[in-house]
Amino acid sequence: MDFEAIKKVTLILLEYLPNTLSLFIWTLVFSIPIGMIVTWLKKCRCRPVNWLTDLYILIMRGTPLMLQIIAFHYAIPMIVSSAVSSGKTGGIIPFLQSIMNNEHYMIITLVVAFALNYAAYFAEIFRGGIEAIPKGQYEAAQMLGMTKMQTFFRIVLPQVTKRVIPATANEVIVLVKDTSLANVIAFAEITMKAKQQMNFYSSILPLFIAGIFYFVMNALVTMLFSFIEKKFDYYK
Amino acid sequence: MAILEVKHISKKFGDLEVLKDISFNVEVGEVVAIIGPSGSGKSTLLRCVNQLERADSGEINVCGMNMLHTEDGKAQYADKKTLRDIRLKIGLVFQNFNLFPHFSVMQNVIEAPVHVLKQSKAEATAKAQELLKKMGLEAKAKSYPCELSGGQQQRVSIARALALSPDVLFFDEPTSALDPELTGEILKVIKELAQEKMTMVIVTHEMAFARDVANHVIFMDQGYIVEEGTPEEVFGNTQNERTKQFLQRYNGGEPPLA
Ligand SMILES: Nc1ncnc2c1ncn2[C@@H]1O[C@H](COP(=O)(O)OP(=O)(O)OP(=O)(O)O)[C@@H](O)[C@H]1O
Ligand SMILES: [Mg+2]
Repeated sequence: MDFEAIKKVTLILLEYLPNTLSLFIWTLVFSIPIGMIVTWLKKCRCRPVNWLTDLYILIMRGTPLMLQIIAFHYAIPMIVSSAVSSGKTGGIIPFLQSIMNNEHYMIITLVVAFALNYAAYFAEIFRGGIEAIPKGQYEAAQMLGMTKMQTFFRIVLPQVTKRVIPATANEVIVLVKDTSLANVIAFAEITMKAKQQMNFYSSILPLFIAGIFYFVMNALVTMLFSFIEKKFDYYK
Repeated sequence: MAILEVKHISKKFGDLEVLKDISFNVEVGEVVAIIGPSGSGKSTLLRCVNQLERADSGEINVCGMNMLHTEDGKAQYADKKTLRDIRLKIGLVFQNFNLFPHFSVMQNVIEAPVHVLKQSKAEATAKAQELLKKMGLEAKAKSYPCELSGGQQQRVSIARALALSPDVLFFDEPTSALDPELTGEILKVIKELAQEKMTMVIVTHEMAFARDVANHVIFMDQGYIVEEGTPEEVFGNTQNERTKQFLQRYNGGEPPLA
Protein backbone atom coordinates (compact mmCIF):
# COMPACT_ATOMS: atom_id res chain seq x y z
CA MET A 1 0.00 0.00 0.00
CA ASP A 2 1.38 3.37 -0.96
CA PHE A 3 0.80 6.66 0.77
CA GLU A 4 -2.14 7.54 -1.48
CA ALA A 5 -3.87 4.28 -0.56
CA ILE A 6 -3.30 4.86 3.13
CA LYS A 7 -4.82 8.31 2.80
CA LYS A 8 -7.79 6.90 0.93
CA VAL A 9 -8.43 4.22 3.55
CA THR A 10 -8.12 6.77 6.32
CA LEU A 11 -10.71 8.99 4.65
CA ILE A 12 -13.08 6.07 4.20
CA LEU A 13 -12.75 5.14 7.86
CA LEU A 14 -13.27 8.79 8.83
CA GLU A 15 -16.45 8.78 6.80
CA TYR A 16 -17.78 5.90 8.91
CA LEU A 17 -16.46 7.21 12.21
CA PRO A 18 -19.81 8.98 12.90
CA ASN A 19 -21.53 5.58 12.86
CA THR A 20 -19.14 4.24 15.49
CA LEU A 21 -19.51 7.44 17.50
CA SER A 22 -23.28 7.49 17.40
CA LEU A 23 -23.45 3.90 18.60
CA PHE A 24 -21.02 4.85 21.38
CA ILE A 25 -22.85 8.01 22.43
CA TRP A 26 -26.39 6.65 22.23
CA THR A 27 -25.33 3.63 24.26
CA LEU A 28 -23.99 5.91 26.99
CA VAL A 29 -27.02 8.17 26.88
CA PHE A 30 -29.34 5.23 27.56
CA SER A 31 -27.23 2.78 29.54
CA ILE A 32 -26.23 5.15 32.34
CA PRO A 33 -29.79 6.18 33.32
CA ILE A 34 -31.04 2.61 32.82
CA GLY A 35 -28.15 1.44 35.00
CA MET A 36 -29.27 3.86 37.73
CA ILE A 37 -32.81 2.54 37.53
CA VAL A 38 -31.54 -1.06 37.69
CA THR A 39 -29.47 -0.19 40.77
CA TRP A 40 -32.55 1.29 42.35
CA LEU A 41 -34.66 -1.77 41.49
CA LYS A 42 -31.98 -4.02 42.92
CA LYS A 43 -31.96 -2.05 46.18
CA CYS A 44 -35.71 -1.56 46.51
CA ARG A 45 -37.62 -3.41 49.19
CA CYS A 46 -39.54 -5.80 46.99
CA ARG A 47 -38.14 -9.31 46.77
CA PRO A 48 -39.63 -10.34 43.40
CA VAL A 49 -38.30 -7.13 41.83
CA ASN A 50 -34.85 -7.85 43.31
CA TRP A 51 -34.89 -11.34 41.86
CA LEU A 52 -35.93 -10.16 38.41
CA THR A 53 -33.19 -7.55 38.51
CA ASP A 54 -30.63 -10.18 39.50
CA LEU A 55 -31.79 -12.39 36.65
CA TYR A 56 -31.52 -9.50 34.20
CA ILE A 57 -27.97 -8.72 35.32
CA LEU A 58 -27.04 -12.39 35.24
CA ILE A 59 -28.24 -12.80 31.65
CA MET A 60 -26.75 -9.54 30.40
CA ARG A 61 -23.35 -10.16 31.93
CA GLY A 62 -23.43 -13.92 31.53
CA THR A 63 -23.93 -14.16 27.77
CA PRO A 64 -21.83 -12.65 24.96
CA LEU A 65 -22.78 -9.19 23.80
CA MET A 66 -22.35 -10.44 20.25
CA LEU A 67 -25.11 -13.00 20.73
CA GLN A 68 -27.33 -10.32 22.24
CA ILE A 69 -26.74 -8.05 19.25
CA ILE A 70 -27.70 -10.82 16.83
CA ALA A 71 -30.73 -11.78 18.89
CA PHE A 72 -32.07 -8.23 19.14
CA HIS A 73 -31.46 -7.64 15.47
CA TYR A 74 -33.30 -10.69 14.24
CA ALA A 75 -35.98 -11.02 16.92
CA ILE A 76 -38.47 -8.55 15.45
CA PRO A 77 -38.24 -9.74 11.83
CA MET A 78 -38.71 -13.30 13.04
CA ILE A 79 -41.71 -12.48 15.20
CA VAL A 80 -43.26 -10.55 12.33
CA SER A 81 -42.65 -13.19 9.69
CA SER A 82 -43.94 -16.03 11.84
CA ALA A 83 -47.02 -13.97 12.73
CA VAL A 84 -47.68 -13.05 9.13
CA SER A 85 -47.20 -16.61 7.88
CA SER A 86 -49.77 -17.83 10.42
CA GLY A 87 -52.18 -15.16 9.19
CA LYS A 88 -51.99 -12.77 12.12
CA THR A 89 -51.59 -9.17 11.06
CA GLY A 90 -53.30 -7.27 13.87
CA GLY A 91 -52.18 -6.21 17.36
CA ILE A 92 -48.63 -4.99 17.59
CA ILE A 93 -47.57 -6.54 14.28
CA PRO A 94 -48.06 -3.30 12.25
CA PHE A 95 -46.10 -1.44 14.89
CA LEU A 96 -43.24 -3.95 14.74
CA GLN A 97 -43.31 -3.75 10.96
CA SER A 98 -42.98 0.01 11.10
CA ILE A 99 -39.94 -0.27 13.36
CA MET A 100 -38.46 -2.87 11.02
CA ASN A 101 -38.92 -0.64 8.01
CA ASN A 102 -37.49 2.37 9.79
CA GLU A 103 -34.35 3.54 8.00
CA HIS A 104 -32.53 3.55 11.37
CA TYR A 105 -33.61 0.01 12.27
CA MET A 106 -30.06 -1.26 12.51
CA ILE A 107 -28.76 1.41 14.86
CA ILE A 108 -31.95 1.15 16.95
CA THR A 109 -31.48 -2.57 17.60
CA LEU A 110 -27.79 -2.03 18.22
CA VAL A 111 -28.41 0.71 20.76
CA VAL A 112 -31.08 -1.39 22.49
CA ALA A 113 -28.70 -4.34 22.74
CA PHE A 114 -25.71 -2.28 23.82
CA ALA A 115 -27.66 -0.11 26.28
CA LEU A 116 -29.32 -3.07 27.99
CA ASN A 117 -25.99 -4.87 28.21
CA TYR A 118 -23.98 -1.92 29.49
CA ALA A 119 -26.75 -0.90 31.90
CA ALA A 120 -26.17 -4.18 33.73
CA TYR A 121 -22.49 -3.38 34.19
CA PHE A 122 -23.14 0.22 35.17
CA ALA A 123 -25.80 -0.91 37.64
CA GLU A 124 -23.26 -3.08 39.44
CA ILE A 125 -20.72 -0.26 39.48
CA PHE A 126 -23.28 2.15 40.93
CA ARG A 127 -24.42 -0.39 43.49
CA GLY A 128 -20.84 -0.85 44.63
CA GLY A 129 -20.52 2.92 44.95
CA ILE A 130 -23.66 3.25 47.01
CA GLU A 131 -22.77 0.37 49.29
CA ALA A 132 -19.36 1.90 49.96
CA ILE A 133 -20.93 4.96 51.60
CA PRO A 134 -20.60 4.45 55.37
CA LYS A 135 -23.79 4.07 57.39
CA GLY A 136 -22.60 6.98 59.51
CA GLN A 137 -23.23 9.37 56.63
CA TYR A 138 -26.91 8.44 56.56
CA GLU A 139 -27.15 8.63 60.34
CA ALA A 140 -25.48 12.05 60.47
CA ALA A 141 -27.90 13.33 57.82
CA GLN A 142 -30.84 11.82 59.71
CA MET A 143 -29.72 13.47 62.96
CA LEU A 144 -29.62 16.82 61.17
CA GLY A 145 -33.25 16.38 60.12
CA MET A 146 -32.52 15.92 56.43
CA THR A 147 -35.18 14.16 54.38
CA LYS A 148 -34.44 10.96 52.46
CA MET A 149 -34.34 12.94 49.21
CA GLN A 150 -31.96 15.54 50.63
CA THR A 151 -29.76 12.81 52.05
CA PHE A 152 -29.58 11.05 48.71
CA PHE A 153 -29.04 14.05 46.47
CA ARG A 154 -26.89 16.20 48.75
CA ILE A 155 -24.88 13.64 50.71
CA VAL A 156 -24.87 10.24 49.03
CA LEU A 157 -24.92 10.96 45.29
CA PRO A 158 -21.91 13.33 45.19
CA GLN A 159 -19.81 10.83 47.11
CA VAL A 160 -20.99 7.91 44.98
CA THR A 161 -20.12 9.88 41.83
CA LYS A 162 -16.56 10.32 42.98
CA ARG A 163 -16.22 6.66 43.86
CA VAL A 164 -17.59 5.29 40.59
CA ILE A 165 -15.52 7.44 38.22
CA PRO A 166 -12.57 5.02 37.82
CA ALA A 167 -14.74 1.95 37.24
CA THR A 168 -17.01 3.90 34.90
CA ALA A 169 -13.98 5.06 32.90
CA ASN A 170 -12.98 1.42 32.50
CA GLU A 171 -16.38 0.49 31.22
CA VAL A 172 -16.50 3.41 28.77
CA ILE A 173 -13.12 2.44 27.35
CA VAL A 174 -14.35 -1.10 26.82
CA LEU A 175 -17.44 0.31 25.11
CA VAL A 176 -15.33 2.24 22.59
CA LYS A 177 -13.78 -1.04 21.52
CA ASP A 178 -17.00 -3.05 21.78
CA THR A 179 -18.68 -0.89 19.14
CA SER A 180 -16.68 -3.00 16.68
CA LEU A 181 -18.93 -5.95 17.56
CA ALA A 182 -21.64 -4.21 15.53
CA ASN A 183 -19.96 -5.47 12.38
CA VAL A 184 -21.55 -8.84 13.15
CA ILE A 185 -24.83 -7.53 11.71
CA ALA A 186 -23.00 -5.65 8.95
CA PHE A 187 -23.39 -2.24 10.56
CA ALA A 188 -21.13 0.09 8.60
CA GLU A 189 -18.75 1.16 11.32
CA ILE A 190 -14.98 1.41 11.38
CA THR A 191 -14.07 -2.24 11.89
CA MET A 192 -16.47 -3.42 9.21
CA LYS A 193 -15.05 -0.92 6.73
CA ALA A 194 -11.47 -1.72 7.69
CA LYS A 195 -12.13 -5.39 6.97
CA GLN A 196 -13.50 -4.50 3.54
CA GLN A 197 -10.44 -2.39 2.77
CA MET A 198 -8.18 -5.15 4.04
CA ASN A 199 -9.71 -7.53 1.51
CA PHE A 200 -9.59 -4.92 -1.23
CA TYR A 201 -5.89 -4.12 -0.79
CA SER A 202 -4.89 -7.57 0.49
CA SER A 203 -3.10 -5.72 3.26
CA ILE A 204 -3.37 -5.69 7.01
CA LEU A 205 -2.67 -1.95 7.10
CA PRO A 206 -6.37 -0.87 7.10
CA LEU A 207 -6.84 -2.80 10.35
CA PHE A 208 -3.83 -1.00 11.77
CA ILE A 209 -5.37 2.34 10.80
CA ALA A 210 -8.65 1.31 12.42
CA GLY A 211 -6.67 0.44 15.54
CA ILE A 212 -5.27 3.98 15.59
CA PHE A 213 -8.82 5.33 15.42
CA TYR A 214 -9.83 3.36 18.53
CA PHE A 215 -6.61 4.26 20.24
CA VAL A 216 -7.16 7.98 19.72
CA MET A 217 -10.78 7.78 20.86
CA ASN A 218 -9.71 6.01 24.03
CA ALA A 219 -6.89 8.46 24.65
CA LEU A 220 -9.54 11.20 24.58
CA VAL A 221 -11.86 9.23 26.87
CA THR A 222 -8.98 8.66 29.28
CA MET A 223 -8.11 12.35 29.32
CA LEU A 224 -11.72 13.34 29.88
CA PHE A 225 -12.04 10.99 32.84
CA SER A 226 -8.79 12.03 34.46
CA PHE A 227 -10.01 15.61 34.13
CA ILE A 228 -13.27 14.68 35.86
CA GLU A 229 -11.36 12.72 38.48
CA LYS A 230 -9.24 15.78 39.23
CA LYS A 231 -12.40 17.85 39.67
CA PHE A 232 -13.32 15.54 42.54
CA ASP A 233 -9.82 15.51 43.97
CA TYR A 234 -10.48 18.27 46.48
CA TYR A 235 -11.55 15.75 49.12
CA LYS A 236 -10.83 12.18 50.14
CA MET B 1 -38.23 20.43 84.18
CA ALA B 2 -37.19 17.15 82.66
CA ILE B 3 -36.02 17.69 79.11
CA LEU B 4 -35.76 13.96 78.56
CA GLU B 5 -37.77 11.25 80.27
CA VAL B 6 -36.93 7.64 79.57
CA LYS B 7 -39.21 5.07 81.17
CA HIS B 8 -38.84 1.28 81.16
CA ILE B 9 -37.14 1.09 77.77
CA SER B 10 -36.26 -2.37 76.53
CA LYS B 11 -34.62 -3.41 73.33
CA LYS B 12 -33.61 -6.73 71.80
CA PHE B 13 -31.40 -7.54 68.83
CA GLY B 14 -32.83 -10.90 67.87
CA ASP B 15 -32.59 -12.95 71.05
CA LEU B 16 -30.05 -10.64 72.64
CA GLU B 17 -31.60 -8.36 75.24
CA VAL B 18 -29.48 -5.23 75.05
CA LEU B 19 -31.59 -2.83 77.10
CA LYS B 20 -33.65 -4.01 80.06
CA ASP B 21 -36.12 -1.73 81.78
CA ILE B 22 -34.03 1.43 81.48
CA SER B 23 -35.43 4.56 83.14
CA PHE B 24 -33.80 7.91 83.77
CA ASN B 25 -34.49 11.63 83.48
CA VAL B 26 -32.39 14.50 82.25
CA GLU B 27 -33.17 17.94 83.66
CA VAL B 28 -32.58 21.24 81.89
CA GLY B 29 -28.97 22.34 82.21
CA GLU B 30 -27.85 19.00 83.54
CA VAL B 31 -24.83 17.02 82.34
CA VAL B 32 -25.35 13.29 82.53
CA ALA B 33 -22.47 10.87 82.07
CA ILE B 34 -23.20 7.27 81.10
CA ILE B 35 -20.40 4.85 81.90
CA GLY B 36 -20.10 1.09 81.84
CA PRO B 37 -18.22 -1.79 80.28
CA SER B 38 -18.11 -2.47 76.56
CA GLY B 39 -21.29 -4.10 75.29
CA SER B 40 -23.40 -2.93 78.23
CA GLY B 41 -25.80 -1.12 75.86
CA LYS B 42 -24.73 2.52 76.22
CA SER B 43 -24.63 3.24 72.51
CA THR B 44 -27.87 1.38 71.92
CA LEU B 45 -29.57 3.47 74.59
CA LEU B 46 -28.37 6.68 72.96
CA ARG B 47 -29.42 5.42 69.55
CA CYS B 48 -32.91 4.58 70.80
CA VAL B 49 -33.33 8.05 72.26
CA ASN B 50 -32.05 9.54 68.99
CA GLN B 51 -34.38 7.46 66.80
CA LEU B 52 -31.50 5.68 65.08
CA GLU B 53 -32.78 2.47 66.61
CA ARG B 54 -36.34 1.49 67.58
CA ALA B 55 -37.04 0.45 71.14
CA ASP B 56 -39.30 -2.57 71.73
CA SER B 57 -41.22 -1.09 74.60
CA GLY B 58 -41.21 1.72 77.12
CA GLU B 59 -41.83 5.44 76.98
CA ILE B 60 -39.68 8.38 75.91
CA ASN B 61 -40.62 12.05 76.21
CA VAL B 62 -38.43 14.82 74.83
CA CYS B 63 -39.08 18.48 75.64
CA GLY B 64 -42.63 17.65 76.67
CA MET B 65 -43.37 15.78 73.43
CA ASN B 66 -44.17 12.10 73.52
CA MET B 67 -41.89 10.19 71.19
CA LEU B 68 -42.92 6.69 72.10
CA HIS B 69 -45.22 4.93 74.50
CA THR B 70 -46.31 1.36 74.95
CA GLU B 71 -49.71 -0.12 74.27
CA ASP B 72 -50.40 -3.79 74.98
CA GLY B 73 -46.69 -4.38 75.43
CA LYS B 74 -45.80 -2.95 72.03
CA ALA B 75 -43.98 0.30 71.32
CA GLN B 76 -46.11 2.96 69.61
CA TYR B 77 -44.14 5.77 68.02
CA ALA B 78 -45.53 9.25 67.52
CA ASP B 79 -46.52 10.49 64.06
CA LYS B 80 -43.87 11.55 61.58
CA LYS B 81 -44.22 15.24 62.25
CA THR B 82 -43.75 14.89 66.01
CA LEU B 83 -40.77 12.60 65.50
CA ARG B 84 -39.23 15.21 63.23
CA ASP B 85 -39.91 18.03 65.69
CA ILE B 86 -38.25 15.95 68.39
CA ARG B 87 -35.30 15.17 66.16
CA LEU B 88 -34.62 18.88 65.65
CA LYS B 89 -34.56 19.41 69.42
CA ILE B 90 -31.70 17.01 69.92
CA GLY B 91 -28.21 16.73 68.52
CA LEU B 92 -25.83 13.79 68.46
CA VAL B 93 -22.06 13.82 68.27
CA PHE B 94 -20.70 10.53 66.93
CA GLN B 95 -17.59 8.70 68.01
CA ASN B 96 -16.15 8.85 64.49
CA PHE B 97 -17.46 12.33 63.65
CA ASN B 98 -19.34 11.37 60.46
CA LEU B 99 -18.60 14.70 58.83
CA PHE B 100 -19.60 15.05 55.18
CA PRO B 101 -16.26 14.65 53.38
CA HIS B 102 -17.32 16.44 50.19
CA PHE B 103 -18.33 19.57 52.11
CA SER B 104 -15.98 22.17 53.55
CA VAL B 105 -16.07 22.82 57.28
CA MET B 106 -18.40 25.77 56.72
CA GLN B 107 -20.71 23.78 54.42
CA ASN B 108 -20.86 20.99 56.99
CA VAL B 109 -22.03 23.43 59.64
CA ILE B 110 -24.57 25.38 57.55
CA GLU B 111 -26.00 22.41 55.65
CA ALA B 112 -28.84 21.71 58.06
CA PRO B 113 -29.63 25.32 59.04
CA VAL B 114 -29.99 26.23 55.35
CA HIS B 115 -31.65 23.12 53.96
CA VAL B 116 -33.59 21.86 56.96
CA LEU B 117 -34.42 24.99 58.96
CA LYS B 118 -34.53 27.05 55.74
CA GLN B 119 -32.45 29.86 57.21
CA SER B 120 -30.86 32.28 54.79
CA LYS B 121 -27.30 31.44 53.87
CA ALA B 122 -26.06 34.73 55.34
CA GLU B 123 -27.77 34.09 58.66
CA ALA B 124 -26.54 30.51 58.85
CA THR B 125 -23.00 31.52 57.91
CA ALA B 126 -22.89 34.22 60.56
CA LYS B 127 -23.97 31.78 63.22
CA ALA B 128 -21.57 29.12 61.93
CA GLN B 129 -18.68 31.56 62.08
CA GLU B 130 -19.51 32.27 65.69
CA LEU B 131 -19.63 28.56 66.50
CA LEU B 132 -16.40 27.82 64.67
CA LYS B 133 -14.73 30.61 66.56
CA LYS B 134 -15.93 29.13 69.80
CA MET B 135 -14.43 25.80 68.72
CA GLY B 136 -11.15 27.53 67.85
CA LEU B 137 -11.61 26.73 64.17
CA GLU B 138 -12.30 30.12 62.59
CA ALA B 139 -9.23 29.67 60.37
CA LYS B 140 -10.45 26.29 59.11
CA ALA B 141 -13.82 27.27 57.66
CA LYS B 142 -12.70 26.61 54.08
CA SER B 143 -10.81 23.39 54.83
CA TYR B 144 -12.16 19.97 54.05
CA PRO B 145 -12.54 17.32 56.77
CA CYS B 146 -9.69 15.22 55.31
CA GLU B 147 -7.35 18.15 55.96
CA LEU B 148 -8.12 18.27 59.68
CA SER B 149 -6.87 16.35 62.68
CA GLY B 150 -9.28 14.05 64.47
CA GLY B 151 -9.70 16.55 67.28
CA GLN B 152 -10.50 19.32 64.82
CA GLN B 153 -12.96 17.11 62.97
CA GLN B 154 -14.73 16.30 66.20
CA ARG B 155 -14.96 20.00 67.05
CA VAL B 156 -16.51 20.63 63.62
CA SER B 157 -19.06 17.93 64.29
CA ILE B 158 -19.90 19.56 67.62
CA ALA B 159 -20.34 22.89 65.82
CA ARG B 160 -22.52 21.17 63.22
CA ALA B 161 -24.77 19.76 65.94
CA LEU B 162 -24.93 23.10 67.77
CA ALA B 163 -25.86 24.94 64.58
CA LEU B 164 -29.40 23.60 64.93
CA SER B 165 -29.60 25.07 68.46
CA PRO B 166 -30.63 21.78 70.05
CA ASP B 167 -32.14 21.69 73.53
CA VAL B 168 -30.06 18.67 74.43
CA LEU B 169 -26.85 17.32 72.97
CA PHE B 170 -25.80 13.66 73.08
CA PHE B 171 -22.22 12.41 72.76
CA ASP B 172 -21.30 8.80 72.10
CA GLU B 173 -17.69 8.38 73.21
CA PRO B 174 -16.60 11.63 71.57
CA THR B 175 -12.93 11.04 72.29
CA SER B 176 -12.57 7.30 71.69
CA ALA B 177 -11.44 7.65 68.08
CA LEU B 178 -8.82 10.24 69.00
CA ASP B 179 -5.16 10.02 69.91
CA PRO B 180 -4.76 10.53 73.65
CA GLU B 181 -3.12 13.92 73.18
CA LEU B 182 -6.19 15.15 71.27
CA THR B 183 -8.86 14.09 73.75
CA GLY B 184 -8.10 17.08 75.95
CA GLU B 185 -9.26 19.63 73.39
CA ILE B 186 -12.63 17.92 73.02
CA LEU B 187 -13.12 17.54 76.77
CA LYS B 188 -12.34 21.24 77.15
CA VAL B 189 -15.01 22.17 74.60
CA ILE B 190 -17.59 20.00 76.35
CA LYS B 191 -16.63 21.52 79.67
CA GLU B 192 -17.17 25.00 78.27
CA LEU B 193 -20.59 23.97 77.00
CA ALA B 194 -21.38 22.64 80.47
CA GLN B 195 -20.45 26.00 81.97
CA GLU B 196 -22.94 27.61 79.57
CA LYS B 197 -25.59 25.24 80.97
CA MET B 198 -25.99 23.24 77.80
CA THR B 199 -27.95 20.08 78.58
CA MET B 200 -25.80 17.12 77.64
CA VAL B 201 -25.75 13.33 77.86
CA ILE B 202 -22.29 11.90 77.40
CA VAL B 203 -21.29 8.27 77.01
CA THR B 204 -17.63 8.18 77.96
CA HIS B 205 -14.76 6.04 79.13
CA GLU B 206 -13.01 9.12 80.56
CA MET B 207 -13.76 8.59 84.24
CA ALA B 208 -11.90 11.65 85.51
CA PHE B 209 -13.81 13.77 83.04
CA ALA B 210 -17.18 12.25 83.97
CA ARG B 211 -16.42 12.90 87.59
CA ASP B 212 -15.36 16.45 86.88
CA VAL B 213 -18.10 17.62 84.52
CA ALA B 214 -21.22 15.53 85.15
CA ASN B 215 -23.97 16.39 87.60
CA HIS B 216 -25.33 12.91 87.31
CA VAL B 217 -23.60 9.61 86.56
CA ILE B 218 -25.29 6.48 85.28
CA PHE B 219 -23.47 3.15 85.39
CA MET B 220 -24.76 0.52 82.99
CA ASP B 221 -23.98 -3.16 82.96
CA GLN B 222 -25.48 -5.91 80.80
CA GLY B 223 -28.39 -3.76 79.69
CA TYR B 224 -29.35 -2.54 83.16
CA ILE B 225 -28.73 0.70 84.97
CA VAL B 226 -27.11 -0.79 88.05
CA GLU B 227 -26.10 2.40 89.79
CA GLU B 228 -26.70 6.11 89.39
CA GLY B 229 -26.29 9.30 91.35
CA THR B 230 -24.06 12.30 91.73
CA PRO B 231 -20.39 11.80 90.83
CA GLU B 232 -19.59 11.82 94.54
CA GLU B 233 -22.04 9.00 95.15
CA VAL B 234 -21.05 6.84 92.20
CA PHE B 235 -17.29 7.39 92.29
CA GLY B 236 -16.76 8.21 95.95
CA ASN B 237 -19.23 5.96 97.66
CA THR B 238 -19.75 3.13 95.19
CA GLN B 239 -22.50 0.73 96.28
CA ASN B 240 -22.68 -1.87 93.56
CA GLU B 241 -20.05 -4.61 93.32
CA ARG B 242 -19.95 -4.49 89.48
CA THR B 243 -19.43 -0.74 89.54
CA LYS B 244 -16.63 -1.14 92.04
CA GLN B 245 -14.82 -3.67 89.86
CA PHE B 246 -15.32 -1.54 86.76
CA LEU B 247 -13.99 1.62 88.39
CA GLN B 248 -11.07 -0.24 89.86
CA ARG B 249 -9.93 -1.27 86.38
CA TYR B 250 -10.05 2.37 85.31
CA ASN B 251 -8.03 3.46 88.27
CA GLY B 252 -5.17 1.16 87.35
CA GLY B 253 -6.15 -1.47 89.88
CA GLU B 254 -6.34 0.91 92.80
CA PRO B 255 -9.55 1.29 94.74
CA PRO B 256 -11.63 4.28 93.64
CA LEU B 257 -10.58 7.52 95.22
CA ALA B 258 -12.81 8.85 97.93
N1 LIG C 1 -27.19 -3.55 65.21
C1 LIG C 1 -26.95 -4.53 66.09
N2 LIG C 1 -27.31 -5.78 65.82
C2 LIG C 1 -27.09 -6.79 66.71
N3 LIG C 1 -26.51 -6.61 67.90
C3 LIG C 1 -26.11 -5.38 68.23
C4 LIG C 1 -26.30 -4.27 67.34
N4 LIG C 1 -25.79 -3.16 67.93
C5 LIG C 1 -25.32 -3.55 69.12
N5 LIG C 1 -25.49 -4.88 69.33
C6 LIG C 1 -25.12 -5.63 70.52
O1 LIG C 1 -25.73 -5.02 71.62
C7 LIG C 1 -24.88 -5.02 72.75
C8 LIG C 1 -24.72 -3.61 73.27
O2 LIG C 1 -24.01 -2.86 72.32
P1 LIG C 1 -23.68 -1.32 72.51
O3 LIG C 1 -22.97 -0.89 71.29
O4 LIG C 1 -24.91 -0.60 72.88
O5 LIG C 1 -22.68 -1.36 73.73
P2 LIG C 1 -21.81 -0.19 74.34
O6 LIG C 1 -22.12 -0.14 75.78
O7 LIG C 1 -22.00 1.07 73.59
O8 LIG C 1 -20.34 -0.72 74.14
P3 LIG C 1 -19.00 0.10 73.83
O9 LIG C 1 -18.50 0.65 75.12
O10 LIG C 1 -18.07 -0.98 73.30
O11 LIG C 1 -19.32 1.12 72.81
C9 LIG C 1 -23.58 -5.66 72.30
O12 LIG C 1 -23.60 -7.01 72.72
C10 LIG C 1 -23.64 -5.58 70.81
O13 LIG C 1 -22.97 -6.67 70.22
MG1 LIG D 1 -20.77 2.24 72.27
